Amino acid sequence: MFGHKKDRVESPPIVGGVCSLLEIPHGHKFRIAEINGGAGLHRRLLALGFHRGDLVALDGEALLGGPVLVKNLNSDTRIALGRSIARKILVEPADEHER
Amino acid sequence: MNDRVPVIVFIGQPNCGKSTLFNAIAGFKAQTSNFPGTTVCHAHSQVVWKNRVYSIVDLPGTYSLTPQEPQEKVVLTHIFGEKPDLIVNVIDASLLCRSLELTVELLELEYPMVVVLNMMDLAEKKGMKIDPVALENKLGVPVIKTVATRGQGTKELMDRVEKILAEQTTPRHLRYSGEVEGRIKKLIEMLPADFPVIANPRFTAIRAIEAETLAVDKFFLENNPEFKKGLDRVRQEISALREAPAYEVLAAERHHLALKIFEDCCRVRHARLSSLEKLDSLIMHPVLGLFLLLLIFAGMFYLIFRVGSPLEAWLLKPWEALRLGIQERYGHNLPAELLVGLVQGVGGGVAIVFPYFIPLLLLMGFLEDIGYLARAGFLMDAFMHRLGLHGKSVPLFILGFGCNVPAIMATRILESRRDRIITALLIPFIPCAARTTIILALVAFLLGPWWALGFYFLNLVVVAVLSSILTRVFKYSSPGLILEIPSLKWPSPKNILQKTYFNLKEFVRFAWPILIAGSLLLSFLSFLHFDRLVNAVLTPLVSGLLGLPSSLGVTLLFGFLRKELSLLMMFQALGVSYGQLLSVINRAQLLTFVTFVNFFIPCLSTLAILWKELGRRVALISVVLNLSLAVLVSWLVRLAFALF
Repeated sequence: MFGHKKDRVESPPIVGGVCSLLEIPHGHKFRIAEINGGAGLHRRLLALGFHRGDLVALDGEALLGGPVLVKNLNSDTRIALGRSIARKILVEPADEHER
Repeated sequence: MNDRVPVIVFIGQPNCGKSTLFNAIAGFKAQTSNFPGTTVCHAHSQVVWKNRVYSIVDLPGTYSLTPQEPQEKVVLTHIFGEKPDLIVNVIDASLLCRSLELTVELLELEYPMVVVLNMMDLAEKKGMKIDPVALENKLGVPVIKTVATRGQGTKELMDRVEKILAEQTTPRHLRYSGEVEGRIKKLIEMLPADFPVIANPRFTAIRAIEAETLAVDKFFLENNPEFKKGLDRVRQEISALREAPAYEVLAAERHHLALKIFEDCCRVRHARLSSLEKLDSLIMHPVLGLFLLLLIFAGMFYLIFRVGSPLEAWLLKPWEALRLGIQERYGHNLPAELLVGLVQGVGGGVAIVFPYFIPLLLLMGFLEDIGYLARAGFLMDAFMHRLGLHGKSVPLFILGFGCNVPAIMATRILESRRDRIITALLIPFIPCAARTTIILALVAFLLGPWWALGFYFLNLVVVAVLSSILTRVFKYSSPGLILEIPSLKWPSPKNILQKTYFNLKEFVRFAWPILIAGSLLLSFLSFLHFDRLVNAVLTPLVSGLLGLPSSLGVTLLFGFLRKELSLLMMFQALGVSYGQLLSVINRAQLLTFVTFVNFFIPCLSTLAILWKELGRRVALISVVLNLSLAVLVSWLVRLAFALF
């Protein structure tokens, strides 16, 4: 029940427009700037087609601190990411007309 | 042409329709669904095409050739260990761009290869116009368009396979950018003479560079300090080129190659939102989605009850009349008793299969194929976290409602062994279709639908409580969820029917004969009064602890084979027909017995698969856990009835 709020405090502060996937509004275009965390996570995301520089948008989230749904606009795929993982993915705002 | 049977492997990313294509070619052999990781072990089949035999292997879906998930390692041992004669790379055409990354990787093997653009219908609906000729030129391998669900393109595929095998044409790898390619070349020259080369030196060098941070790395290099130094230098150089880890640089190279090919060969017009996509936003809605999840399951059981229960009563009538007729005419001698046993065995089977088993299998098949399982995992993840697991276990539990055995096999998709063991220990507590059938048949038929629903709820509560206990015993926080949500797909009725037929065949082939034989045996034993001995031994448990008629003891023997048999044998053991059951035992006794049997020792096939997948210890723990919980919960049910 309380995990949700803690997530918000732990996530890094917004610097220069870069923030984590947990802090962006739904449906807007963002660009993956950095993937923090270990090589295991990094490889997994690469294999699933999520690279640095890809355009992504938040497509939904589950209740009670559940996972977020991230859409990759380049490859038209969607993955569900647990919050602990979504927090490690940093994004920066992208122009709405970018491809 | 030599006589050796050529080996053809099907490789593709999860959910690209590999297994469906495989089934279209090989006849029905592999289980398919719209959930990543269904094919956890590979399926083999021998196929005859134009008087020539081919051995076809359906490998689990893999996102890349760098093994990360357990089922992906199966793929590697296959293509590295036993060199296949031909690779069929199956691509979900609607996800062409991402799928091409694996294709680029596969081309690096330089094995004979065919690319299959599957799900062309879906791609067209998404507004994608793919030029297969351009794609063929870019990749340097034949490209075949298929719609596997309708069997389109399979003939062309086999023709091409035949041609390529005859000509032995091998593709060339695609070139990375010059500076990276130069570094790879440098490493190739450094490869020691005794280095285990996979496929070709370039592929081996790329693997070695990418193996960074993987366990394989150490094993390779401990005996080769000189090469290790060189490899580290090459990695650093590549890493410095793009200011990223070397493995990411190589992945990015492939990504760009794939992107370039995609842009050259595919034009995307703006597609309209399909009705399925609109449905999807409802399914994935945080509140409405959960509501829908509840509604789907409630509706499923309601439908089965409304359709199944009257149908069952109708189906049982003639068998019941037959049994009474036999008893009336021939009295109590051995042949008559055996005949009655036979009638009960056959009739019992008919009454389960048609009204309950088939509808349940059809509905499960529909949910699986449309792509609902992964979505249920997404919606339920938060709840599962409170029970110490994560959303990836949800689809496994849902599969368990169909049959526990494939659900336990599919636990391979869980990354951590701890999650695997806990999930596998919990799955036998999920009532499978056969057990659900009996619960619905008995409890709903005799006591009413609310009792059946209540029983189901009790069952889920037990699973939840057990899960929180187990996750506290095996302490360790499970890794976060990463789960691809495949797009919703209209399931092909043919596919669902095939799957239902497959499961039904299993039931008719294995369970029904056991049911009939058991029924006959029980008639025979009771004629010889042997059942009294078994009953006497089990009396302390059955009568003493649970307050049931001691004649039910013998039915538990059959529960070792399949749990639901215990319940079916109940009539035989008590010597009554279906409708008269409540005249011999009361509601409390019925529920106590159903509870006990439901949580009783995992059925033989579940036990066997637990043993095989997770070892003897886990299987034994499962037996102890199930038995003790069966005694405890059914005793509590008895107590609850005594108190209220």
